[in-house]
Amino acid sequence: MTTSNPLALIAEITHRCPLHCVYCSNPLELAAASSELSTAEWLDVLRQAGRLGMLHAHFTGGEPLARPDLTALIAGARAAGLYTNLITSGIGLAGPRLQALVDAGLDHIQLSFQDSREDGANWIAGAKAHAHKIELSRIIRRYKIAFTVNLVVHRQNIDHLDEMIAFIEQLAPERMEIAHTQYYGWALKNRVALLPTRAQLEKATEAVGTAERRLAGRIRVDFVVPDYYARFPKACMGGWGRRLMLINPAGKVLPCHAAEVIPGLEFESVREKSLQFIWQQSPSFQRFRGEEWMPEPCRSCDQRTQDFGGCRCQALLLTGDANATDPACSLAPAHYVVESALAEANSTAAVSQPTSASSFVQLQRAETLWSYRTNPE
Amino acid sequence: MPPPEDSSQPRLAAGCRWGGTEEARVVLFPEGAIKLQGTGRQVLEHCDGQRTFGQIIAELQAQFGEADPAKIRSDISQFLEQLRHKRIVDY
Repeated sequence: MTTSNPLALIAEITHRCPLHCVYCSNPLELAAASSELSTAEWLDVLRQAGRLGMLHAHFTGGEPLARPDLTALIAGARAAGLYTNLITSGIGLAGPRLQALVDAGLDHIQLSFQDSREDGANWIAGAKAHAHKIELSRIIRRYKIAFTVNLVVHRQNIDHLDEMIAFIEQLAPERMEIAHTQYYGWALKNRVALLPTRAQLEKATEAVGTAERRLAGRIRVDFVVPDYYARFPKACMGGWGRRLMLINPAGKVLPCHAAEVIPGLEFESVREKSLQFIWQQSPSFQRFRGEEWMPEPCRSCDQRTQDFGGCRCQALLLTGDANATDPACSLAPAHYVVESALAEANSTAAVSQPTSASSFVQLQRAETLWSYRTNPE
Repeated sequence: MPPPEDSSQPRLAAGCRWGGTEEARVVLFPEGAIKLQGTGRQVLEHCDGQRTFGQIIAELQAQFGEADPAKIRSDISQFLEQLRHKRIVDY
């Protein structure tokens, strides 16, 4: 099968992070700081990405600012012809460093917020970060780079989505991304506390629709839907090995953030193989590419060219079988697994309130509601 | 958001820029890229933040002499309005 070039590189340059968000998309097994690729290794990877015809480099983590060489990596990505995107909590960024990043060719910054309310935000993040983020937004707006504000919504904050949208509006980004929590890694571990009720979801969807119309032409609103409540699964990563390559801090090349949970797959490292080899020949990238692997009902389903059978990691995490139809699909044999999670979410309507604590350690001791993301060794 | 006025100066929005090769020009933006060929490419290349919308229309009407000028105006206006909604163009 001939494969077209990948479109974008997701560079997960470190798993270290000053925040401890309870829905972090990083795997539960974080890559150790000592295993991280060097500056020279990343620069080589970025050149390879440019030669492969990729258009975008998304720098993420952990917190990418935890790497002191981030400016050099942004410059390297631009030199390789890539559009550069920094996905960040903003912790570790002030005026001078931002100036250096922009000078190095940073095109776009995506800043995450956890809530519009300080207590709630710090409670989710397990750190005092909210006030700094607000101040940083003002500094970002002095530069002619694209600015997106990202906010993850879930059971604990979704009831005041209107207020959060208004909060983002006054930060004046070009885009806001309102993203429902996706249940992998840390978020799956904390799902009971995060999965919204159907009533919460309906109200939130309406709020997003209203905001979209009101802000049209000024702020683009991107909405990441909660697949547990959807009829069909999400086209995870635009299909396995179809558009994206993710490189983890230690240099392993993956088709998505969570793929390492799938047993029996071996992921090559950029220390051993070229990106081109991995994209075209690695068994891991070919494993779920195309339609050969699909079980019924996917194999004969009209949706298969839209959703590619959904997410392989979700299938594994919820059914124990990475080959299964994504159980988020209403047609999946294992859809009952999602239905029972929803039944539980809709039977207990109680929503917890932020706990005041002055440190992450105190929060960790106080909380029984959820597990905070830890840090790699 | 209304269509561009004659005095406005359409331009690529912050953080959006040209990329690709001379044969395959694209405009890069945070979530992706759009391939631009033919008329679409000509229109956006005129959107340099210097020319006014009125000037752009006049220049392109002169260039596409055969076509109905009112149709050219409404097509370009609609095109820029769509790109503004995606936050790729400002005016």
